[in-house]
Amino acid sequence: MWFVSLLKNSVVTRLKNVSIWSALFAGLVVLLPSIMIIPLVVPYPSPVDQQEQFLGQKLALIGKDDVPACATCHGREGEGDFKIGIPRLAGLNPDYIKKQLEDFARNPIKTRVVLEPIARDYVKTPRTYGDLTVFTPGTRNNPVMNEVSRKLSQEDRHNLAIYFSKLSFIATPRAFDFETLERGEDLALRGKPEYGLPACVSCHGPKGEGFGAVFPPLAGQPLQYLIQQIDKWQTGKRDNDHLSLMKNVAVQLTDGDKVNVASYFSNQSYSINRE
Amino acid sequence: MVVIRLYMKLILARAGYFFCWSLLVMTQTVVAQGLGNDLDSLEVRPSLVSPQLSLPTQLTQVHVVSPGEYFAPPLVANIPDDKYGDMVRMGRDIFVNTAKYARRYTGNGLMCTSCHLQEGRKPHSGPLWAAYGMYPMYRHKIRTVVTFEERIQDCFLYSMNGIAPTLDSPEMKALVTYAQWLSKGAPVGVDLPGRGFPNVSRSQDLDPKRGKIVYETRCEICHGINGQGQKHNNGDGYMFPPLWGRHSYNKGAGMQRIKTLAQFIKGNMPLGASFSLTDQASLDVAMYIWLQDRPKNPKMSWVMDFFFPNMAH
Repeated sequence: MWFVSLLKNSVVTRLKNVSIWSALFAGLVVLLPSIMIIPLVVPYPSPVDQQEQFLGQKLALIGKDDVPACATCHGREGEGDFKIGIPRLAGLNPDYIKKQLEDFARNPIKTRVVLEPIARDYVKTPRTYGDLTVFTPGTRNNPVMNEVSRKLSQEDRHNLAIYFSKLSFIATPRAFDFETLERGEDLALRGKPEYGLPACVSCHGPKGEGFGAVFPPLAGQPLQYLIQQIDKWQTGKRDNDHLSLMKNVAVQLTDGDKVNVASYFSNQSYSINRE
Repeated sequence: MVVIRLYMKLILARAGYFFCWSLLVMTQTVVAQGLGNDLDSLEVRPSLVSPQLSLPTQLTQVHVVSPGEYFAPPLVANIPDDKYGDMVRMGRDIFVNTAKYARRYTGNGLMCTSCHLQEGRKPHSGPLWAAYGMYPMYRHKIRTVVTFEERIQDCFLYSMNGIAPTLDSPEMKALVTYAQWLSKGAPVGVDLPGRGFPNVSRSQDLDPKRGKIVYETRCEICHGINGQGQKHNNGDGYMFPPLWGRHSYNKGAGMQRIKTLAQFIKGNMPLGASFSLTDQASLDVAMYIWLQDRPKNPKMSWVMDFFFPNMAH
């Protein structure tokens, strides 16, 4: 067959012309990309991250000149305190921690109302009034944390956020009575459809494990802390949610709902950053 | 030959019209430029540009919920512990996690609960308890009377971009059982309050540019920068459903109608803040989403889809 011979000839001539340089070149072409892929495939902590983590750890465990150590209240492992209702920080999203610290540091009295047609900065919270949208910077009211976070610099907040997000945590499921858990589950998984109240899991993750920088975890947080936060939303002391999503939800919850749903999430088993 | 000559004549006539029209436009612009110097720059003239921001004169109509207004479906804790109850539970599993329990029929990242929110219970988001008693029903889209099962088949074919489950498949049986259980106690053949989606009315022309602003301010936080949704942390399924692209509903779906999508958005989005968007805003953002690319209608050929990508079904 004529085309078979043609193919054979071409292959043979090519093989004859192969020199050591072209072989080396071909080897480079194959090897270089595979070497370049290695850092993408194999994760390792970058030196910058380690530095931030170290500084954050120093600040969290020892504190600064007039800033007390975070560990005094939030625990040495960032695990919080279930009895007093101090939130756990271990394993939270770093951007979430940073935003909360910034909102704590903001003075709630001198809040400036900015009128903008487009939300360019999602740190600010849009409020909808028909065709006009008002963007207020988020605020969180807590006498201790307001004082502490005002003394922190932007780098400190970043370092702390990186440090706490890398910590591991395992939740201890708490026991509650059956009726409370059943009602809590109904509210957590289904909400109150007849009142337009969405389910908790539709934003906070199917097991309350949180989602991204916007939706914090509910599982693994103290029962009291969750109830207090909803109370603060209802009274306006906490007002730093995106698109006033949480405010719309919180104003519809009764005292019984708060206890039931917080009990349900305290009953969940949950772990993060653990093998 | 006669036909071709007639056709040529038509084209030439069109070309002549176009030529005359362009001459007219050119002369008009020349005249306008010439007259431009004579106009008083301080004279107050009405602007042709519609204002982007206005004062809060247009109040949002917020839907007032009174207890007992909507039908209350039975609680999940009260599902009976028998064979029937097992079927209801299976139907609920399929409804809530379609990608896992009806994997062989789905073709994208959407679930039943992506449109029928809160396990098919929420009024104004196509609740099952309001729909079940209305079937069999005449549907204008396909101009026949369809049963509840056939309607579910359409959901799988268009909204899930998958394969229609057969009428005797266990998935279909379970879904129908779940719907029947949810609507226990609801009257048959009555248009219950909260059925389907709320009404929207249009006051101006739709503008996808305004819709883009609405999308970026209100929807992007959950549905992602390119409307691609957001996946679960473990990479299994979608936490927030994709609005367009490969993993979204196809062009034959009901949500591809601007009006239906706007109705859904007005009644349900953003989550927890139903009825917070105005009719116009929801229509604008619906048009913005309608203009995006998504899988083709399975009942339409590739050629038609290429040349008429946004043709109504």
